[in-house]
Amino acid sequence: MWTLYLLMGITITTGTCAYLFFLWSVKRGQYEDPEGPKYRMLDDDDEIKKTPPKKRH
Amino acid sequence: MSECSHCLLHFPEREAVHDEIDGKELAFCCNGCRGIYRLIHTEGLDRFYDKRSWDDSAAGPTLPAATPEASLFEALIREIPAHEPGEPPLNEIEIYVGNIRCASCIWLNEKILSRTEGVVAARLNYATHMARIKWQPAKVELATLLERISSIGYLPKPYTESERHRAQSAEAKDLLIRFGTAAFLTSNLMIYTTALYAGYFQGVDAGMRHAMEIISLFLTLPVLVYSGYPFLRNTLIGLRSLHFTMDSLITVGAWSAFIYSVYSLFTGGGVYFDTSAMIVTLILLGRYIEATAKGKASMAIQMLTELVPKEARRLTSGSAEAVEGAETEQVALPLVKKGDLLLVKPGERIPLDGTVVSGQSEVDESVITGESRAVAKNPGSLVIGGSMNMFGSVVFEAAGTDKETLLSRIIQSVLEAQASKPRIQNMADRIVAWFVPGMILLALSTLAFYLFRGVPLETALMTAISVVVIACPCSLGLATPLAVLISSTVASSHGILLKNGEVIENVAKLTGLVFDKTGTVTTGKPVLKETLVIDDTLSAEELLKVAASLEKFSEHSAGHAIMEAAKGLHPYPVSGFHAVPGKGIEGTLKERSIVVGKASFLEERGIRVAEEIRRKVAAFEEEGHTPVYLGWQERLRGVFLVADSVREDAAQAIAALKKLGLKTAIVSGDTVTTTRAIAALVGVDEPVGGALPHEKRELVAQMQKRGERIMMIGDGINDAPALTEALVGVGMGRGTEIAMESADAILVRNRLEAVPFLVRLSKSTFSIIKQNIFWALVYNVAAIPLAISGVLHPIVAAGAMSVSSLFVVFNSLRIKKCGHSIS
Repeated sequence: MWTLYLLMGITITTGTCAYLFFLWSVKRGQYEDPEGPKYRMLDDDDEIKKTPPKKRH
Repeated sequence: MSECSHCLLHFPEREAVHDEIDGKELAFCCNGCRGIYRLIHTEGLDRFYDKRSWDDSAAGPTLPAATPEASLFEALIREIPAHEPGEPPLNEIEIYVGNIRCASCIWLNEKILSRTEGVVAARLNYATHMARIKWQPAKVELATLLERISSIGYLPKPYTESERHRAQSAEAKDLLIRFGTAAFLTSNLMIYTTALYAGYFQGVDAGMRHAMEIISLFLTLPVLVYSGYPFLRNTLIGLRSLHFTMDSLITVGAWSAFIYSVYSLFTGGGVYFDTSAMIVTLILLGRYIEATAKGKASMAIQMLTELVPKEARRLTSGSAEAVEGAETEQVALPLVKKGDLLLVKPGERIPLDGTVVSGQSEVDESVITGESRAVAKNPGSLVIGGSMNMFGSVVFEAAGTDKETLLSRIIQSVLEAQASKPRIQNMADRIVAWFVPGMILLALSTLAFYLFRGVPLETALMTAISVVVIACPCSLGLATPLAVLISSTVASSHGILLKNGEVIENVAKLTGLVFDKTGTVTTGKPVLKETLVIDDTLSAEELLKVAASLEKFSEHSAGHAIMEAAKGLHPYPVSGFHAVPGKGIEGTLKERSIVVGKASFLEERGIRVAEEIRRKVAAFEEEGHTPVYLGWQERLRGVFLVADSVREDAAQAIAALKKLGLKTAIVSGDTVTTTRAIAALVGVDEPVGGALPHEKRELVAQMQKRGERIMMIGDGINDAPALTEALVGVGMGRGTEIAMESADAILVRNRLEAVPFLVRLSKSTFSIIKQNIFWALVYNVAAIPLAISGVLHPIVAAGAMSVSSLFVVFNSLRIKKCGHSIS
């Protein structure tokens, strides 16, 4: 029987983590462009860039 | 039908833009697509065409756009100071990019911008079409970036979030968090509920059951208190005036299920925590759908509106006589006082009402009056704020401030109509208004009945609450928003933007339509209708060729019509071109001095126009034709008759609407004869001519007073009050800002055939909404006897809930199918 209690604990903990992740994603504006990612992942930037590579910092 | 080589749109052959790239003959639906194709080709990105897979036909106007002035964007630039010394400072801006219609447009804009020297980053939002650009101001100017965007056919626009829009997006975000929280908790709750159901059938350890019920309680509580807070608040507000809404239904249903369950938890009965949490979650989903759809439409509409600089050029010194070279300053419109002298250059809008002091020009007043004619303005004539100055520079004296113009009076009238427009409750709300009191009454009678029968108070109370629990239809809150969402998606893929969900219900109940004439039933752009050959030695084609050779230099709308008709004819070389605003043009061609224009202008140049010809022309003028006379060497050679042309799809659309049993009327500021002629041409029953803006509104108001439900379709500022007054106002996508503000729906592609489509779509959507509401209620209502007899079980409640919800979802999806079969 104790396994059930353990599983309950696990589901609630992972669930809470997922929930916090959701809150974080809303605050970060992840839902503001629901269309973009499906196109951007197809846009592989393998062609030669004409602009010099940008300095990252 | 041809297929566009770029966007795959099917379009009529004659609208095609042909091009040859690498020996391949290609046809495009518009110049925008051609530009994109050429650019993609020259950048060596042709494989894009092999990769993409879409059958997008949501075409918008993608003509090469004129670059807007960079000054309009200046206030939006943010400066980002350099992070490290030695690094150049950056500028950042967020602008809206118009004319985007597919993912490849976004991709292209990003590429074009990021390849520009000096641009650090450029990213477009696929959903909102907002571009965020970072660049080095030392290397590139904003004007260059704007030019890059417009060179490939897109239209950059400054966009500052309006207060209303900001509130809308904040509301949507709040709803998303509330819904997300509820969805998370409910889905966790479902794990325990499923276990409890399994336990019910297979047997479960009492201690374990109790533990799971307690966990359920704690998972449900935040859903009710936090996620359901807006409903709770609205219910309490509504309770004060005994006003029952959807919110009260949700609150009563969810909380009664919760209270009942808490009671059962201690007494050992069945729990309904899932019902309670599910109601709130589903309704929040409906609300979130509504909020996002609304936000999208309002932004799209805002972006359709025209750019009007809210500034005027005020003369600072010198006499008004010298139009050229007068010193001016830019002032904000509210600062202009009565009596100020303002300069308007060709191609600009006249900022205020006033009297011309010096200069000559022709002005297009069609947005205000609906008349598609250029009106000559000389010193002494009145000009109307909002009209377009076409040729010469003009100085005029302001007749008042920007609050006292004809335009602002029209806006005032729109606001009045808005205030007096009764808000019509939608079907679901109307049902809820009697369903909630009915449900409570039934619960109270159950309580009274059991008490009368001598049942203990506790049991009687719980039975009464169980009536409320089972009667509360949680899918009712989803019935309308889901149908409306799918319907608006279908509508927008056909070029119709709906501002709110009520439009669908209202359109479904229409009895008649009122069309504006100019710009709605007609294109608002004159075309050459007829050529009268006076000199028999010449052909009509030859006359056209001569006139077009001169008109090439003119900006006159009638001239455009002649140019358009002469397409394909090679013009003659012309020297010594000269235009006299309001009269006509002249020039030398083959050593003959040619005169084109009004009859009076030709007479001034010594060309006599015979009385007989004048009479003949007068008959045409009555029907709304504008004559353009052509003559040389003291003889009249021909007369061109130019008139506004009816939209190609107008007659078909009106016939389709009549078939649907709707009455049609046409209203115009033009003369009665012209209006009648157009009405007869497109088959409209009732023509009303010579109507002023407020008279259009009164006409609609009168018809509605007779019990008719009217849809008004218009585009001009003069239509705005009528659009607001009508049950449903429909604006044209190329209409004026105010017209679009006043409308409930916008025809983005300016096609009238969208109107019958909208009517049919609304009718089928509305019947689906009615079915949804019926089925959402029927399962719950059917279970009420069980509750009253006191044998209600959680399984029954869960069953009623899921069956009705699934029904609503699948039934709403049928709208997509309806959309296909209609079109």
